[in-house]
Amino acid sequence: MGANLVNLNVNPCKMCMPMGAVSAFYGLKGCMTILHGSQGCATYIRRHMATHYNEPVDVASSSLTEEGTVFGGETNLIRGIENLISLYSPEIIGVATTCLAETIGEDVGAIIRKFYDAHPDAKVKIINASSAGYAGTQYEGFFRVLRAVVEQTPMDTNPSQSVNIIAPMLSPADFRQLKKLLESMGLSYILLPDLSENLDGIHEKHYKRIKSGGTPLGEIARMAGAKYTIELSRFISEDDSPAQYLNEQFGVPFERLAMPAGIRDTDALIEKLVELGGRKTPELMRERGRYIDAMIDSHKYCALGRAAVFGEPDFVYSVIRLCCENGVIPVLAATGSVCPALRPALEEEIRKCADRQLVEKTVILDDCDFDMIESVSRELGVNVMIGSSDGRRAAHRLGVDLVRCAFPIHDRVGGQRVRMIGYGGSLNLLDQIANILLGNQEERFRGEIYDSFFETARHTGQAKKPEGTLQTIAQRTASHPCYTCGGGKYARMHLPVAPKCNIQCNYCVRKYDCPNESRPGVTTQVLTPEEALEKYKLVKKQVENLTVIGIAGPGDALANFEQTRDTLRLIREYDPDVTFCLSTNGLMLPLYAQELVDLGVSHVTVTINAVDVEIGAKIYKYVDYMGTRYTGVAAASILLGNQLAGLRYLTEHGIICKVNTVVLRGINEEHIEEVIKKVRDLGAYISNIMQMIPVAGSAFENMELVSNREISEIRNKCSVDLKQMYHCRQCRADAIGTLDNDVSIEFRGGCGTGEEQAALPVKKYAVASKSGMLVDQHFGHADTFYIYESDGTTARFVEKRQVNHYCTGKEDCLDDKQSKMDLILSTVADCSGVLALRIGNAPLEKLESKGIKAVTTYDRIENAVKQAASQ
Amino acid sequence: MDERTRLLDKYSARIYKNRKEHVIQLQEDPAGQEITANTRTIPGIITNRGCCYAGCKGVVVGPLKDCCVITHGPIGCGFYSWGTRRNKAQAEEGEQNFVPYCLSTDMQESDIVFGGEKKLKKAIQEAVEIFHPKCILICSTCPIGLIGDDVQSVARQTEAEYGIKCIGFSCEGYKGVSQSAGHHIANNGLMQHIIGTGDKRPAKKYSLNILGEYNIGGDGWEQERILKRVGYEVVSVFTGDGSYETMKNAHLANLNLVMCHRSINYVAEMMHTKYGIDWLKVNFIGVGATIQSLRDIAKYFNDPELTERTEEVIRDELAEILDDMEYYKNKLKGKTAGIFVGGSRSHHYQKLLEDLGVETVIAGYEFAHRDDYEGREVLPFLKEDADSKNIETITVAPDEKLYQQRFSQEEIEKLREEIPLDTYDGMIRDMKSGHMVVDDYNHFETEMLIKLMKPDIFFSGIKDKYVIQKGGTPSRQMHSYDYAGPYAGFKGAVNFAKDITMAMYTSAWAFVTPPWKSDPILVGSLTGGE
Repeated sequence: MGANLVNLNVNPCKMCMPMGAVSAFYGLKGCMTILHGSQGCATYIRRHMATHYNEPVDVASSSLTEEGTVFGGETNLIRGIENLISLYSPEIIGVATTCLAETIGEDVGAIIRKFYDAHPDAKVKIINASSAGYAGTQYEGFFRVLRAVVEQTPMDTNPSQSVNIIAPMLSPADFRQLKKLLESMGLSYILLPDLSENLDGIHEKHYKRIKSGGTPLGEIARMAGAKYTIELSRFISEDDSPAQYLNEQFGVPFERLAMPAGIRDTDALIEKLVELGGRKTPELMRERGRYIDAMIDSHKYCALGRAAVFGEPDFVYSVIRLCCENGVIPVLAATGSVCPALRPALEEEIRKCADRQLVEKTVILDDCDFDMIESVSRELGVNVMIGSSDGRRAAHRLGVDLVRCAFPIHDRVGGQRVRMIGYGGSLNLLDQIANILLGNQEERFRGEIYDSFFETARHTGQAKKPEGTLQTIAQRTASHPCYTCGGGKYARMHLPVAPKCNIQCNYCVRKYDCPNESRPGVTTQVLTPEEALEKYKLVKKQVENLTVIGIAGPGDALANFEQTRDTLRLIREYDPDVTFCLSTNGLMLPLYAQELVDLGVSHVTVTINAVDVEIGAKIYKYVDYMGTRYTGVAAASILLGNQLAGLRYLTEHGIICKVNTVVLRGINEEHIEEVIKKVRDLGAYISNIMQMIPVAGSAFENMELVSNREISEIRNKCSVDLKQMYHCRQCRADAIGTLDNDVSIEFRGGCGTGEEQAALPVKKYAVASKSGMLVDQHFGHADTFYIYESDGTTARFVEKRQVNHYCTGKEDCLDDKQSKMDLILSTVADCSGVLALRIGNAPLEKLESKGIKAVTTYDRIENAVKQAASQ
Repeated sequence: MDERTRLLDKYSARIYKNRKEHVIQLQEDPAGQEITANTRTIPGIITNRGCCYAGCKGVVVGPLKDCCVITHGPIGCGFYSWGTRRNKAQAEEGEQNFVPYCLSTDMQESDIVFGGEKKLKKAIQEAVEIFHPKCILICSTCPIGLIGDDVQSVARQTEAEYGIKCIGFSCEGYKGVSQSAGHHIANNGLMQHIIGTGDKRPAKKYSLNILGEYNIGGDGWEQERILKRVGYEVVSVFTGDGSYETMKNAHLANLNLVMCHRSINYVAEMMHTKYGIDWLKVNFIGVGATIQSLRDIAKYFNDPELTERTEEVIRDELAEILDDMEYYKNKLKGKTAGIFVGGSRSHHYQKLLEDLGVETVIAGYEFAHRDDYEGREVLPFLKEDADSKNIETITVAPDEKLYQQRFSQEEIEKLREEIPLDTYDGMIRDMKSGHMVVDDYNHFETEMLIKLMKPDIFFSGIKDKYVIQKGGTPSRQMHSYDYAGPYAGFKGAVNFAKDITMAMYTSAWAFVTPPWKSDPILVGSLTGGE
């Protein structure tokens, strides 16, 4: 499957030819490279090589400017060569072209001749290669330079017993291994190139500008007389093959072998070397034996492997074969280069390996990008990726580990010491792959096996509860819908187990049986701890993303501490992972804070409306503390002292604390900033400044509300001091689901139905609903209204109307809110009423002024509409 | 022989003639000393400079997180500028973040021969289908200008066809003499096509843009945190963690803060002319510098409440870092440093080093202009050379509706006596006699300077970092912070102090002796004896 159908490369899995060209020149002794083109190419390439090799990488540039594109780059290139000679005195200068030089059609050969004409006594050998960035990828640039090296070096054709070894781009450590192998076999050889030292230096007292390693020019000259050439690349084209050239020009016989990774390809190289007169040492055979031993040791883990191997074709080919030998199924072989030969070379190999484990689908791709590698890997269930560090982003998104063993490696040290060839290198690579698979198995085994085999047992209480919890506080916070703005994908469940309250706020009335109101303090029923557990089990089964259990009353969680404690204990026994959250007025915190810590509560919300007792006295009617009822300043003092001491204790013990503050017109609206600063100093994590909900029957029933805009301004002011919660929905004490989708009605025993009534005139109602089933959305958040008709006995759906919703709950909507609200109002203008979960004060007044009745409720739409129509 | 003479001694006559203008050793009164900058790189010298594309795509427009940046050209340039700069970005809620992506048209030989416009158009279509971006930016590489692809026209067609914003940047690598040309081209594009197209006014009384802050290692986040604490609204950041969405409204802010003068001064000046928004040179690198900058901003707005709040925040932030800073200062006091970065950090970091008692004895820029060294007062005297002429300078006129000056000319003059308003005094004035200032260092000079000046730590980039540290001198990458950061503001200063203390005091140094500590630099011999 060539991916050539697309024109946009999304996250490239290849580099350009000049990169390969520079790497190859680095393997010549005393060589400096100059890239002919604009200087960015040299700079970018140096930057990439330096990070990978952890070595200085010096690449010069002819630094062409716009003038050069018009008049040609001859002057610049010649000056560049001159300057290189005067500063570095290299033996060889490699000149590689870039896109720019090739596009303007530079004749580099002619420029070099001009240089020699001008400097007849120059001793330097200049070798040039044509390497336009658009003409191929890195490995092609690499071989093109090697080909140019053998073509342009004056050859000594005297026959010798040497064997030419043409190596692909390997790490310096692999080059050292290769040399050691050749030496141990007692062969006389010429290795081209030799990257063993230049890009992986040792610490030396004096820094050498030109490293001393690399293939010397004199050796290269003798390649024409060698008795044989082994070229370790299967995929390079004949035009770029040095072996082909040596054969055509000088009759040196050759064979192209795969990069020697894995047992078969290493054996093949060694057999060939034996054929050419080398000998297998006992040590070499022991190394082979050790590798086979390791293959056997690891086979159980390897069989779990579904690998994606990506990179240059030669690398992919050999690593895939290594995988197959070890039973790791290479479900995806991918190269960014255009290389149609990859598929036929690997198809059968992969097929055979996959068939053994009944894996049906495997894919071979050339000319592909990481976007495609990622999507195919996801589809094929890849569990290990093998290649360069460029795959890290895809690997991260796929949640799999990456074996970094190809150039470039940017996010780890040791790129220069990667070992993957020969028996020893293969063993190293195999260990890394096997360890990833074993590590996965070790880490995930418990969870996976437990869930898939013993889930039923767990529900009937027979299986032993799993020990320990993996979640950190940070993870818990991230998956808590109230602490993470946008944590909307997680659900929470409020358990109404705490009916009593120990203080009376002037804005609050607690009702236990009102299904049609949605606000704190409201629930349809109070549960015992045992009932709460049963309800949790039921809900957990149906609401998958449930991460948080909260106790939010309807009274105060700590005024009912026994119930709260028992509930949490029961649920913790059943589910060690769920996050515990609790809200309180803080009065009993000093007494119970440590117990909360011990129970594993990680998040606590304390409602603090004032940090000034005079103000507090206006808010709280009374406080019941240790058997005495206090009022006025005394009440407020006790409460405040306990709130602050408790908050400090919790935050010092690592509990994430939210502070709720209700803004009360004329009482604490000017005082909020002070509250926030105080609680910030005590370590609160986030603050939730909210509007008072006027409740019929409360002391503040008729208090003028603070507008949303004012709330926003206060939040903005306070955001300097403390993180603000902008997405509070002021939930019920028995709310279930995500913040925007309360599903608690589905878990109620029964729900209020409108009684049959005499038919009334048909009226239209606009319903704010997310689900289309329930009245479950705030008026201002609705972007769709469901229009219903009802005569009070039946309700009929008419149509859906779109509006541009005008409130996203954030500060950014302040400006054109007005006009959008008008838009909403015109959308519902022909209705007699609007039904929503909640509605702000300003829209409420607007609606009323237009004669539209607003009903706030939480119920099934039909019921709610009927009820509204019948009133 | 002073250090400068010894440094230049090794050069051939021709190189000497060129380089001597770029290397100065400061005299008693550094003001008024001239340096040559922003001229062509000498071919064959291992320069640290990048190209025009790197300045446009890599630096200025690349970090715009909600834009699909498509590199139009062969694969290399896109690949090499992919995730290499550590400009961090966090997607806004419900928005996309394209910073981790590399998009390229991956041109092949046939596209060079027959033209790449068609491929570009198809690539844009695919980008629209896959990502649904609000804005696409096309950045050209070397071959594009040569084969005559018209990216601006493709951008216009894209806007007409898909109804999204699309800008073509002709930032071919060969233009200008360094990254700097790319900054200018990017500034022009942002000014012409994005700034001023939005109408969302800031909600707060005092609002700012941060210009020339690229959020390397989270620097921008620390700056925003502090500014928000004081109570400012940050409308947009150019361009670290910045976005098309916010940049549209940049012209509605009250004041522009300029961090990196080199890369963004064009936008600052043009916004000043077009909308009357003043710009203030700030520096949030260094505790003292950050405090100074915060006070300068407060002075500009001249609101007692704001001034008081500013002082309150400063007190509070200082209290938090005081102990740490004292500890590190103890460790670092009396050390010397060399610093060589792009176009502004070499100045900024001197302030932070000063906080820690470290003196900067060598400083230089890769691609700065003379005004970055000597101050904007030299601008009228700069001669435009052939390379600068090739970069378009756009002229803007005051906007009829939106132009608004906060102060009268008289008030401005008065303010300027106190704060660096609409101007920048350059780096040299802040340095001392005997210090070396070197423009566009090359590899050879870096080595020589370390030998001659013996700094205890040398700040540079990835390309020369290994030469420096393998030679026995601790080094810290100042382009990308070696995977660390942030270093800006109050909290960042502690990070920086910790990192360089670690660099200098690692036990590994015990096994290494830098050659200049034991070897004489000049080898002489006695004659006439025996």
